[in-house]
Amino acid sequence: MADQLLSDRLDEVIDALVARSDASAALGDPELAPLARVAADLRHYPNRDFTAHLRARLERRKTMTTATLAPGVREGFTTVTPYIWVPDRGLADFLIRTFDAVETRVDENPGHGIHRELRIGSSMVMIGETGPTDAPARPQAFHVFVPDADATFARALTAGAMSLGEPEDRHYGERAGFVVDAYGNHWYIATALGPQSLGHHLRTVTPYLHALDVDGYMKFLTRAFGAVEETRAEQPGGVIPYARMRFGDAAVEFGTHPPMPGAYFLYVADPDAVYEQALAAGAKSLSAPADQPSGLRIGFVEDPLGNHWYIARPFDSR
Amino acid sequence: MKTDDERLLIEAAQADPARFVELYDRNVDRVYAYVSRRAGSRTVAEDVTSEVFEQALTNLGKFEWRGVPFVAWLFRIAANALADHWKRQGRDSHELPPDVPDEREHQDLERRVSLFQLVDRLPDAQRQVIQMRFVEDRSIREVAAALDRSEGAIKQLQLRAIDTLRTGMTERPAERSGKQGHHHG
Repeated sequence: MADQLLSDRLDEVIDALVARSDASAALGDPELAPLARVAADLRHYPNRDFTAHLRARLERRKTMTTATLAPGVREGFTTVTPYIWVPDRGLADFLIRTFDAVETRVDENPGHGIHRELRIGSSMVMIGETGPTDAPARPQAFHVFVPDADATFARALTAGAMSLGEPEDRHYGERAGFVVDAYGNHWYIATALGPQSLGHHLRTVTPYLHALDVDGYMKFLTRAFGAVEETRAEQPGGVIPYARMRFGDAAVEFGTHPPMPGAYFLYVADPDAVYEQALAAGAKSLSAPADQPSGLRIGFVEDPLGNHWYIARPFDSR
Repeated sequence: MKTDDERLLIEAAQADPARFVELYDRNVDRVYAYVSRRAGSRTVAEDVTSEVFEQALTNLGKFEWRGVPFVAWLFRIAANALADHWKRQGRDSHELPPDVPDEREHQDLERRVSLFQLVDRLPDAQRQVIQMRFVEDRSIREVAAALDRSEGAIKQLQLRAIDTLRTGMTERPAERSGKQGHHHG
């Protein structure tokens, strides 16, 4: 039967196409050639499970992008607020002595250490004091704008920090000096130079996240949290010395360095949805969203660099 | 696609990201076809296509209407995403075909997009055979076992499917009007 033969011949062509070997002989066969051409194009037919899955993800994300911008933020806080874990109150003292930080809240939770909130200029920082026997500190890095970088740098050293770089006029429009505090946190202390400086756009304290693959990490943050890239500098070879993203009303900066995994509060309108989205993007669950005694509903995840994210919303503001 | 329609859709999606999926539905096959030509594997094609639409959604606010088709903007994102991909693999992006499709490639892409949509409309059994053979790379024997039919019957089904597609492609110009955004059905 001619048709039977044609179906066998076509199948051989398809086997060759799928194996990416030479199927061009079919083009000399007038009966087979038009079918072989269709078969060659079919190798590029998209998997409909994939296109449907991607569609669903984009549909979820549109909610997320909106969610991260919606008012789930605690009053006085911004979408992203750093949470620094240390063993004792020395860090709070350091921030008060160096940056004139003002302690706005202290909660003692017997058995769970002490929770502190401090205002530094236009920003909030939270500290968890674990006590000496608990988990190690999780040092982070911060970009801090102050009126006089030299004076603040000197105060930081007096308060016990070590210099990582004396204040200098930097090519990116800042006078900046760098210190590391007794717990390993980095503070990039800066004063704006000239009208182009970032100091006019950023709040007092901006988290500065370190990653070796900044591009890949930013893509994760977009997928997980709907963060939006604002700017990036790129060197030949793809190294990104500096980048910045926006999460709702907060900015986060990035540089190519070995990660310093820290912890951050992320205030969102719908913690459950953002938690699910973060897991779908590749974050690891540390605990599912639940109402906490603090009045916040919090989902807790770890991102691929080891940073911890408390995805939160005050539950009385629903 | 009428450019006026497209412009309205883009503006709608810029105002309300919920509308972005309509742009996705209209363009996913074109973008996938563009990427697939260059990607070398299905996994890479899927990763890069995801990347393109994720970035497009993120940056949609920056898209300015200047009469350039939206898909051209997506192709440019795709070209960059592919270049990034090769760079991460330590390969030179010079191996890539030119970023911007020429007239001939446009025709090729449109042909494939029409073909993909014809596949979506095949009778279930035929579509399943195409999916298993071309997407899942399964052999005739495996397809026959999965569908509980003889190998000969599967080969016949495969022939009928491809012949239907070939006929559909021949009739394509007359048939295409008014059949937009149909996939995912």
